[in-house]
Amino acid sequence: MMKTEDLRKADFFSGSAITLLGLLISGGALQMPMKDSWGGVQNVWYVSPAIFPLFVGTILTLLGLFLVRISIKNVGKEGIKSTLEYLFGKSFILYAFSETTIRFYAILFNLLLFVFVMVPRIDFFPASIMFLLVLFLMFYYSDHSHLISIFKKLAWFSLLLFIVIVNRWDSFLEPIIPYAKDWMVIGFILFLIFHSAKSINNDTDKKRRFRICLIIGITAPFVIGIIFKYFLLVPMPFEGLVVSLLDSIWYAEIWSS
Amino acid sequence: MLLERLGVFFDIIGKMIFDPVSLAILFGSVVLGILFGAMPGLTSTLGVALLTALTYSMDTATAMICLLAIYVGGTYGGSYASILINIPGTAAAAATAMDGYPLACKGEGGRAIGLTTTSSAIGTIISMLFVVSISPIISKFALEFTSFEFFLLAFFGILISGTLTSPDLVIKGWISGFLGLFLACVGRDQLQFYPRFTFGIPELDSGIEVVPVLIGAFGIPQIIGVLTNPTEMAKAQKLQRILPEIGTVVRNFPAIVRSALIGVGIGSVPGIGEDIAGWVSYGTAKNTSKHPETFGKGELQGVLASETANNACVGGAMIPLLNLGIPGSPPAAMLLGALMLHGVNPGPMITFEHPFFILEVAAILLLASIAMWIAGMILAKQVVKVLNIPTELFMPIIGVLCIIGSYSLGLNIFNLYLMLPVGIICLFLTNMGYPIAPLVIGVILGPMADESLRRALMVSQGSFMPVFHRPVSLILFIIIVWTICSQFAWYKNIVASLKQRILLLLK
Repeated sequence: MMKTEDLRKADFFSGSAITLLGLLISGGALQMPMKDSWGGVQNVWYVSPAIFPLFVGTILTLLGLFLVRISIKNVGKEGIKSTLEYLFGKSFILYAFSETTIRFYAILFNLLLFVFVMVPRIDFFPASIMFLLVLFLMFYYSDHSHLISIFKKLAWFSLLLFIVIVNRWDSFLEPIIPYAKDWMVIGFILFLIFHSAKSINNDTDKKRRFRICLIIGITAPFVIGIIFKYFLLVPMPFEGLVVSLLDSIWYAEIWSS
Repeated sequence: MLLERLGVFFDIIGKMIFDPVSLAILFGSVVLGILFGAMPGLTSTLGVALLTALTYSMDTATAMICLLAIYVGGTYGGSYASILINIPGTAAAAATAMDGYPLACKGEGGRAIGLTTTSSAIGTIISMLFVVSISPIISKFALEFTSFEFFLLAFFGILISGTLTSPDLVIKGWISGFLGLFLACVGRDQLQFYPRFTFGIPELDSGIEVVPVLIGAFGIPQIIGVLTNPTEMAKAQKLQRILPEIGTVVRNFPAIVRSALIGVGIGSVPGIGEDIAGWVSYGTAKNTSKHPETFGKGELQGVLASETANNACVGGAMIPLLNLGIPGSPPAAMLLGALMLHGVNPGPMITFEHPFFILEVAAILLLASIAMWIAGMILAKQVVKVLNIPTELFMPIIGVLCIIGSYSLGLNIFNLYLMLPVGIICLFLTNMGYPIAPLVIGVILGPMADESLRRALMVSQGSFMPVFHRPVSLILFIIIVWTICSQFAWYKNIVASLKQRILLLLK
């Protein structure tokens, strides 16, 4: 959490956002049937679906305004002005590229990539191995330059993946290379491993960390995935290369005989 | 009647003890909970959330064993990190660090852990007694409630949760609660099936799924927060003898009972978690002590007070959850989501729909507290080792678990698209001093509040007058108005001037 003085300054903006949201909710509620008929039923105001959102929207608007008032009362117009100057000034740019903020971008980018791009389109196993390895190599190494180097590579790879998905190149590649997207991710995982192995430079501590990253990064998705897929019978969000390989082992004739 | 209930209670306990699978699940979940609680950054709420996904395919009884056991274990487990490295494993154990760490520095870490294990177990057992004895009364009382009472109760739950959990301004807690209520509005309304705030997205028609939202709200901010700002862990203090001296427990028994009562009381207030119970109990112990100056310097009573209260809060939180359908704490909110997934709808009708469910919960609480004590005594020295695991290694794994867990509940990718943005929004809200518990309570109580308000108005033909005619709703209304007014300066001024006048009159 921020310091109290910064919180009061931030309250002006969060309060304004809440007020706006409250107004939008109330506006949306007013579009709902109040006294008109809906589904063949003539409405009365107190049964209308708008009642509750209207109540919530109005209270949020009032609370938001109240928060703005508290903020202005505490930091004054000067405080708000100085915050705006900070937001559009050099110091904010410095903050936006500070070490902590870059760490935040790195996690957020990886999470967004994993949830919105990888999970729905790539086999769960390589997708999660990539997700884990990237985070481990970024953060467990405790080396900011290494984090940036991995982040850049991840950004380039996600751009490539994005282009392939948007242009549907994978459907052209599929007849030639089955599970083309999965192979792309596996290729990137191998690249990451080789790149990180190369950067160790006989440093024993880094060597140990790299070994741990590799072992946990590969085993954890298999443990989690196998529990969900074969014990809890949860089909994976996208089943590709590894799942079909595991399926052929799990449901092989050998076991039944 | 009482004998019959006792018979059923012991029958349930007997069945669980003599079923090796149930017993193994109980011990496994308690140990998992302790590990979750012990690792700084992981909370019992997150533990319950992740286990909800794993227990989805289990029968209700087994799922309840898992979830309650991890809740009990997780609440207790936080004390390890508090005592040994001065970083609370969970927010619930924050007060424990005040005296726990100084005790460990004096070489009494083992003694402190042994005593907290025992007091936590006693706290859970006392709270279990309250679940069994008070539940039938509340349940019977709640049967008299009409829609107005349920609406006001939900509203009160959100307000009080916002008031007491806000780390900054109280108003932010209320905003958070109303944001939760807004999220609950999304989807087709329950009375007329009118689509509200769905923006033409068919996946939103059925409303926002509670469990993925909870996983996002509690999991994602934790993962991002811990990885962005890693804390340098201190080296864990060594443990010596863990088995507690009976004399010390007996000597402190009145204090343990008082702390347990505080825990049960705070737990039964909607939306207030174990952390507040711990602090209030710690404060009370300090204020009533003959030597308050020793607190903060390694006073055993301080550790006992916070640890007894936070574990007693578990049972306390079950009372409104089971009888009114209102969660008493964030992990209880998660439990409510899990119960709904298993087709159990907590509320006044629970004693009719599932006559022995409350007894089952009480039996699990009792066994979980015993399992926690045994596991605590045997595994304490091993559990300490998890404090050496770097957060950078287990947090990403928790991330994968959150994602696959959210997806597996309903096999819906859309749950993930919802979970992550909710998590990111919750991260920003947390950073700006907004508490997350009221938001979660709002999401859970929203449908009940909406439906009750409209049903009540339907019955009264649009009149609000029944609020003033019915005693329970009038009391609730007065409490709500007082809760709101008491936050304003003008109210405080009026109260202060009234006090002065009364004092002058008395003189």
